[in-house]
Amino acid sequence: MFSLSEIFTLTLIRATVRMSTPILLAALGLIVTELANITNIGVEGIMLVSAFIAVAASYWSGSWVVGILAAVVAGVLIAALMALIHLKFKADVFVAGIAINLFSLAFTRFLLKNWFGVAGSFYSPRISPIPRINLSFLQIHPVIDTLFNNYNLMDYLAIVLVFVFNFLIYKTVWGLRLRFTGVHPAAVETGGISVTTKKLQALLISGVLGGLAGAHLSLGYTTQFIENMTNGRGFIGVAAMYFGGVAPITTWLASLFFGFTEGVGARLQTMGFPSQFILMMPYVATVFAITFSMIRQQKKLTQKQPF
Amino acid sequence: MNKKLLIVLSLSLVLLIGTVTMAASPVRVALVLSGFLGDQSFNDSAHQGLLRAVEDFGIELRVLESEVPADWEQNLVAMADAGYDLVIASSTQFQDILERNAGYFPHIKFGIIDGVVEQPNVVSAVFAQNEGSFLAGAAAALWTQYDHLPGVNSEKTIGWVGGMDIPVLHDFLTGYRQGAQYIDPDIRVLVSFAGSFSDPVRGKELTLSQYEQGADIVMNVASGTGNGILEAAYEEGKYAIGVDLDQDGIYPGSIVTSMLKRIDQAAYLMTQQVVEGTYEGGQVLYMDIANGGVSLTDMSVMQAALGDDFPAEILEVIEELTQKVRNGEIVVESYEGFRRN
Repeated sequence: MFSLSEIFTLTLIRATVRMSTPILLAALGLIVTELANITNIGVEGIMLVSAFIAVAASYWSGSWVVGILAAVVAGVLIAALMALIHLKFKADVFVAGIAINLFSLAFTRFLLKNWFGVAGSFYSPRISPIPRINLSFLQIHPVIDTLFNNYNLMDYLAIVLVFVFNFLIYKTVWGLRLRFTGVHPAAVETGGISVTTKKLQALLISGVLGGLAGAHLSLGYTTQFIENMTNGRGFIGVAAMYFGGVAPITTWLASLFFGFTEGVGARLQTMGFPSQFILMMPYVATVFAITFSMIRQQKKLTQKQPF
Repeated sequence: MNKKLLIVLSLSLVLLIGTVTMAASPVRVALVLSGFLGDQSFNDSAHQGLLRAVEDFGIELRVLESEVPADWEQNLVAMADAGYDLVIASSTQFQDILERNAGYFPHIKFGIIDGVVEQPNVVSAVFAQNEGSFLAGAAAALWTQYDHLPGVNSEKTIGWVGGMDIPVLHDFLTGYRQGAQYIDPDIRVLVSFAGSFSDPVRGKELTLSQYEQGADIVMNVASGTGNGILEAAYEEGKYAIGVDLDQDGIYPGSIVTSMLKRIDQAAYLMTQQVVEGTYEGGQVLYMDIANGGVSLTDMSVMQAALGDDFPAEILEVIEELTQKVRNGEIVVESYEGFRRN
């Protein structure tokens, strides 16, 4: 009925990369906040609002650049709201995150109705999508061309950002202070640096990345907005962040793993595997990933303590 | 004591007056959805039918949307409780909910589209989606043979992407397969479910993967998820088949035809019955090829996009098959539980 060669094709690698990008962008933002000791589950809501704003801005301006910028601004604003709730009014960060997620779902519905007079979904040929990038120097060989060329701009950008954040976190003073904000906030304060400011910075940066993730969903991967179109991808980002050990490069690999389960699933289904089982795979993978990373964390903790 | 009595009396008076004034007011119809408007498909179609009823009969319409299963029962009960004359539950997912609750509101008239509830105050409308899909499958099997068209490969492979894996979608699939095999017994049909009716990203990914596996035309049976399916066809220069509503014009030249499930007609008919007093609880309205409840579009959008390249033969074949199903020469199979009695 099916053969492995039909599943493991070059196009599967493409699908893996495509499906990993929104997860990766969300997870990068989550790393930054997690290092400052904030588990920002509000990223799902940030992505959803940004996805909507990206479509709206692109529709009105006819430019995807404006779309991305507007999405980033929207992401930062929602993140700032989250900072207000958590840092200023000291609400529990999970509660703040859930509040943001519920708010975003209703808020995008509201805007959809008010700005475009539609419910459920919005698309139009006037929405300008984020282009795919054709790098002619990769066309030297068909395999290389299939593997590396013609991805969406955001797919490339996400990979570049992995290395940018790896540098920022591990090679700069800013990164050192950020990491210490999570590990030992008292030491940071003693050093004359405000923990609250650091946390605020982290949240705003996660807003930027959540904004990019949202813009990718609605302008990059597809060119439309549908209610709740994030469909839990922000939460899978949380899983990828833990699975990747809260570090950019390993989190990238974790995101690719989640993208891979989606890509393989899409192919296995057409081979006649029961859809219920296949559709479960990304979530089962999430449970395993979290379990695995928690066991690892526990081990680390026990190793550190001599008794 | 007396005070309490007074309050009760005055309250019942208010209620009485309320009921009397209501009798003069227009028929109130509530539409309860298991999803959102704007899907350009199932939900929008039901809404359109009722908007037509608003124009024709001056009814008062209220629409309740939610994609959270926990809300569906609440919404339905709330509308019945609010005394709407007709509460239409639009989708098969309301079947159990209505079965449980219709008995509590014996004076409220209910309608269910795409499911059967055998209660004295429920009218059910069911579609022969298998018959409509039979035509769609035949159209797809013909299309994949037209190698001269751009984007059509030599492989005899067609695709099908559904939303959630629920019985009614299997009824679509059963007909689609039969229709495809009627045209070409050796055809390969790729099948995927997205597990959601509101995830266009996954819908697009599943469709891209079917194209990569040799399909050149994919049928969409996925509501909001389906928007991603149609977009994939447009971007890859391949083809798709729309569902429920006429989706041909969303990406002209990419959507060969749409299988029309006249949900609007069913919603309209139920309302008409209530308005005209012919509503009869327990009745089942069968919407099939014979009474125009299901059909394909006339492919005029595709014809305009392709010009002289358009294979006119396909229209003749579809017409011939329509006749054969109508006069019983072809019996379209149903998925278990959807067989007519």
